[in-house]
Amino acid sequence: MNSKIKKPKIVWLQAITCNGNTHSLLSANANRLKLFLDSFDLVYHPSLTTDILLDDLLKKEEDIDFLLVEGAITSNKEFFQISDQTTSEVLKKLVLKSKYLIAVGSCASYGGVHKKFEQNSDILGLEEALEKKDILSLIHPIVNLTGCPVHPEWIFQTLFSLKEYKQMSLDEKGRPKEIYSYLAHHGCTRNEYFEWKVEAKSFGLKEGCLFYGQGCRGPMTHSNCNKILWNDVNTKTRAGMPCIGCTEFDFPRNNMLETKKNIGIPDEVPLGVSKRAYLSLAGVAKTFKIDRLNEKIIK
Amino acid sequence: MKTVDIVERIEGEAKLVCQWDKKKISDVKIQFLNFRGFEFILKDKPVLDALVYTPRICGICGQAHLKATVEALENIYKNHNEELTLTNKAKLLREIGLNIEIIDSHIKWFYMFIMPDIVKFSQNSLDEYSPLKGKKWLEASGVASETIKSLAIIGGQWPHTSYMIPGGVISDPTLLDLVSMQNYMDQAIRFYEDSLVGIELDNYLDFKKSEDLYKVKGDLKDFITISFENEFEKIGKSYNRHLVLGDSLSFEKGKVNRKLIKNIDYENIEELTINSFDIDKSKVSKEAYTWSKTALYANNFYETGPLARAVVQDRSFVSDVHKHYKDSMFTRVLARMDELGFLLHKTKQLIKQIDINEESYIKPKVSLSDFKYGVGQGSVEACRGSLYHDVEIENGKISKYDVITPTVWNLGPGVDGKLSTSQKAIVGSDSLEKAKLILRSFDVCSVCTTH
Repeated sequence: MNSKIKKPKIVWLQAITCNGNTHSLLSANANRLKLFLDSFDLVYHPSLTTDILLDDLLKKEEDIDFLLVEGAITSNKEFFQISDQTTSEVLKKLVLKSKYLIAVGSCASYGGVHKKFEQNSDILGLEEALEKKDILSLIHPIVNLTGCPVHPEWIFQTLFSLKEYKQMSLDEKGRPKEIYSYLAHHGCTRNEYFEWKVEAKSFGLKEGCLFYGQGCRGPMTHSNCNKILWNDVNTKTRAGMPCIGCTEFDFPRNNMLETKKNIGIPDEVPLGVSKRAYLSLAGVAKTFKIDRLNEKIIK
Repeated sequence: MKTVDIVERIEGEAKLVCQWDKKKISDVKIQFLNFRGFEFILKDKPVLDALVYTPRICGICGQAHLKATVEALENIYKNHNEELTLTNKAKLLREIGLNIEIIDSHIKWFYMFIMPDIVKFSQNSLDEYSPLKGKKWLEASGVASETIKSLAIIGGQWPHTSYMIPGGVISDPTLLDLVSMQNYMDQAIRFYEDSLVGIELDNYLDFKKSEDLYKVKGDLKDFITISFENEFEKIGKSYNRHLVLGDSLSFEKGKVNRKLIKNIDYENIEELTINSFDIDKSKVSKEAYTWSKTALYANNFYETGPLARAVVQDRSFVSDVHKHYKDSMFTRVLARMDELGFLLHKTKQLIKQIDINEESYIKPKVSLSDFKYGVGQGSVEACRGSLYHDVEIENGKISKYDVITPTVWNLGPGVDGKLSTSQKAIVGSDSLEKAKLILRSFDVCSVCTTH
């Protein structure tokens, strides 16, 4: 690689967060993380870099290529401050120096779990927290990488493609289409159970689909988790944990570990499928009792 | 003279306000100025949703929060004389997951959160430890990400899975899955042997006396050498009182206040807000300076974390080092890295004990929403020390949730003229850099503190 080419500068800001996105990044495939660190100049990350403090960064004139924000934003100083300023003030100062702004995780995108802290009524995602005048320097719409946490590969793919192609196509919620047009359901190892409407008898089993009793939102949730896998090895739904829809605008919802039903049928049916179509198909599928799908996978 | 400094790289930030007298710190306040309101967020939420929310208190020790929640919820069943039966497999899979998270955290903490500051005290230039670029930093981050894969095998992903649920766990690993987990543990053990301590793990675990410190090679030797050159074994001492609330196959509960007592009564836990901010402004005193509360056990400040666990468990090597160097910054850091070796060995053993023919989950006969009212507590040992959850439910909803995190035990504000554990450790320091190192030696988690 030509080392003379200037590496794009990245600044990572932490606002109201659990740091889960940072630790998701650190859990990335080691070769990918190394390539990322070789290809970009991570100027500042509050948990990782030691060269400068946030305060110094704010005083610096230098431009930022990619501003990555982890966590929700508030202008309430009593509840939240970093380096003696509100997260909103810090964000605005940094955005004015930046070319691209990327929300890392559901909290930065839409407020997420932290927005549920209602005693502070001013907890927002980036888009809501910024006005037109704040984003004049941006050369691209804000990119929302949702997920609680974000998948490290989503960060890498976004940064590398913006570096290479300067732009990416976003859906109506600001998420990269190539990641979030898929559903979490796509690629789940339990798909055959879903096809034949064989529900998981309970938690803790390799067999059965979690859509019918355990609250799985895989068929309604935009993400490619089961396409790219987590930590290189697995996903929640493959392991046996229902998808809780953490990449969506309305996360977290209520009763995430059970399926709300109406006369034995899930209240919400897979995205874009009419209830009538779903009911007809489910009715037919259920009339076939397929032994193989009702037995242990490994006997 | 007064100095005010912001400390970053502690999973968030804190403000260190020091009062100086004759070039030494005579008083210190550790301010956590952020509040995320998780106890308020949890109120009125459906009970089982706590399993999704509490891991998100902290992106580092989320599985500890998950385990504390699931145990608190199971405690509600017990208090209703409906105690749930858990298979041995479910118990093992929970503890293994938590241990893997601690292992992952300890690796990252040493190389990312303390060594970059320790090497500044070295006479040699140790560029290998530079963040993001240094060979050792990169090797450690690689090993950590490999290690955590073993947790993803049973949890589906990390961070933020909710794989533990009242009645057991949600996953049902195959024998091959368990073998892969063993493999990841073996890789981490190889790293411990080749890079961290420079000798075989079995030989390391045979260490009994503080003289054995001289047998350590590898990166831990860099830490030991720099420590003795700079007398880190003499600084950072506090009350030398130790507390372990969680009881498991890996750790024993108990406390040391001069002598060791292996009995813990939750009734003795007290949480005070005398010097803390409150969401209800009418309750905030003039003295309040931090969002962290104060946690006391039987009216005393205690230290919690790997040093406390080693001392309560009387693990011979750390216990002997502790006998010589007390609860110094040196002992505290060493105990954390010793625990890494101990847990790698222990966790491999635990994986071996799983009988895959057992059930992962036994469905509770009654649902928590069938109880009109219920209370339960759970405590576990997290990376940084004892974590305590106390929950109250009414008609299927959470009516009250109280969390006391390890950092609150160690870094909360002092009360009634008594300094807290970390304040006492810092007072007397002759430089700000040392004071910051002492603060770091507790493995501070700002996000946990500001839950």
